Amino acid sequence: MSMGEVELSCLAYAKMYLHASQFPRCSVNGLLLSSSAAGGAVCITDCVPLLHTHLSLAPITQLALTQVDVWCSQTQQRIVGYYQANACASDSSPTPCALKIAEKIFEQCNNAVLLMIDGEKMFPGCRVPPIVMYERKDARWALKDKHTIMLRQWEETCSIVNQLFSSGDQALLVDFDSHLDDITKDWTNQKLNAKIMELVSPANGNV
Amino acid sequence: MNIEKMRDKLRKWREENFRNSEQIVDVGEELINEHASKLGDDIWIIYEQVMIAALDCSRDDLAWSCLQELKRQFPDSHRVKRLAGMRLEALERYEDANKLYDSILQDDPTNTAARKRKISILRAQGKSSEAIRELNEYLEQFVGDQEAWHELSELYINEHDYAKAAFCLEELMMTNPHNHLYCEQYGEVKYTQGGLENLELARKYFAQALKLNNRNMRALFGLYMSASHVAASPKVSAKVKKDNVKYAAWAASQISRAYQMAGRGKKENKCSVKAVEEMLESMQITMS
Repeated sequence: MSMGEVELSCLAYAKMYLHASQFPRCSVNGLLLSSSAAGGAVCITDCVPLLHTHLSLAPITQLALTQVDVWCSQTQQRIVGYYQANACASDSSPTPCALKIAEKIFEQCNNAVLLMIDGEKMFPGCRVPPIVMYERKDARWALKDKHTIMLRQWEETCSIVNQLFSSGDQALLVDFDSHLDDITKDWTNQKLNAKIMELVSPANGNV
Repeated sequence: MNIEKMRDKLRKWREENFRNSEQIVDVGEELINEHASKLGDDIWIIYEQVMIAALDCSRDDLAWSCLQELKRQFPDSHRVKRLAGMRLEALERYEDANKLYDSILQDDPTNTAARKRKISILRAQGKSSEAIRELNEYLEQFVGDQEAWHELSELYINEHDYAKAAFCLEELMMTNPHNHLYCEQYGEVKYTQGGLENLELARKYFAQALKLNNRNMRALFGLYMSASHVAASPKVSAKVKKDNVKYAAWAASQISRAYQMAGRGKKENKCSVKAVEEMLESMQITMS
């Protein structure tokens, strides 16, 4: 993989998708993480679902960013991007709030990505990944060339997401907002991560 | 589950205004299909409840059959017409839905339900400024409508118009002085507006929210963060700094305690507990 390319793991994709599905009437957002070293391509290996209410209010966003930062340093991960799904499914353009947070992430990570989930493509049997990616180019966030975005084993990823829905495991997903409603819930989603990794076949090396 | 239990569940969900649509459809559909005759007059309100839940779950088949039963029983009802409108909204047939609501309003200009549905359509279409304008007009007439004030505050927050959002929340706090959620949301809006005065105000409202509900974690974190920021500001007097350091320290200890209790015996939240502990430690360093 080379400079400018972005790889999105099954784990990260599945949790983003589950997050958007869990709150169909809300805008949701989260952070994209990488466990790989900096430089070269961006490998998004995991994500942390953050909010489904009041995305544009500061305190909880700041709190979440701080906590995820701490957790990342404890687990050798880095924040490499931000995702958002708008409540209005027909509008997948980045909101001012999305741009603001992505900008902050870019300050620490110069190949940060901004990922918008395209609600209109989230239906069973859709052949195209429901995502639109932006990268920082010439002081603005520009649409990324689709061909530089890798989703390994796309078919398998879709099937894994379907399995999570049919087994009811999609309900395991906890975002930061839900954690604040009940702090015994784990926003790092250890349990769900384990279930997803069980479904990912060891042969393809998806992380 | 027996019929009584199912009825009770549906009633509870109705009274508490829960939107657990999948469960409502599950329980409600069984009740309607298998036990309709035993429900008496309750059946009509159950049809309404199940119909709305069915729309949420894309179960147009179920929504349609519930609607037909209601239309048959209450042929000229505005309430049923509104349900028909909601079904059109769910099918994204907004023009047809609007026509239906307009006909209700022609008959009865004070029908608040129809007016609010029209505003919901504007929201669904992403027409925020129009929705805001209509909602403001609505509130001039129906100044006591709590639901509308809250909806308006949400719209203003989405548009980053924090001053107006604060105004709406002030209305809500006045009429609902015991509601800790409004105090806490007000604190969040003030914090977002920023500046020393707003941070101090935010801290006060987070504290108030905690007085009303000492388990509101957002308020606790909000208190911690706003007090920390005030204490760290170069513009405050030594006394104010000292007081805020105290407030922040208190909040930090409450947070630690809450997380200790939450983390007890649960391997999975060790990660979140550790993250909070480190965060509190690192913020301590920057404050002193």
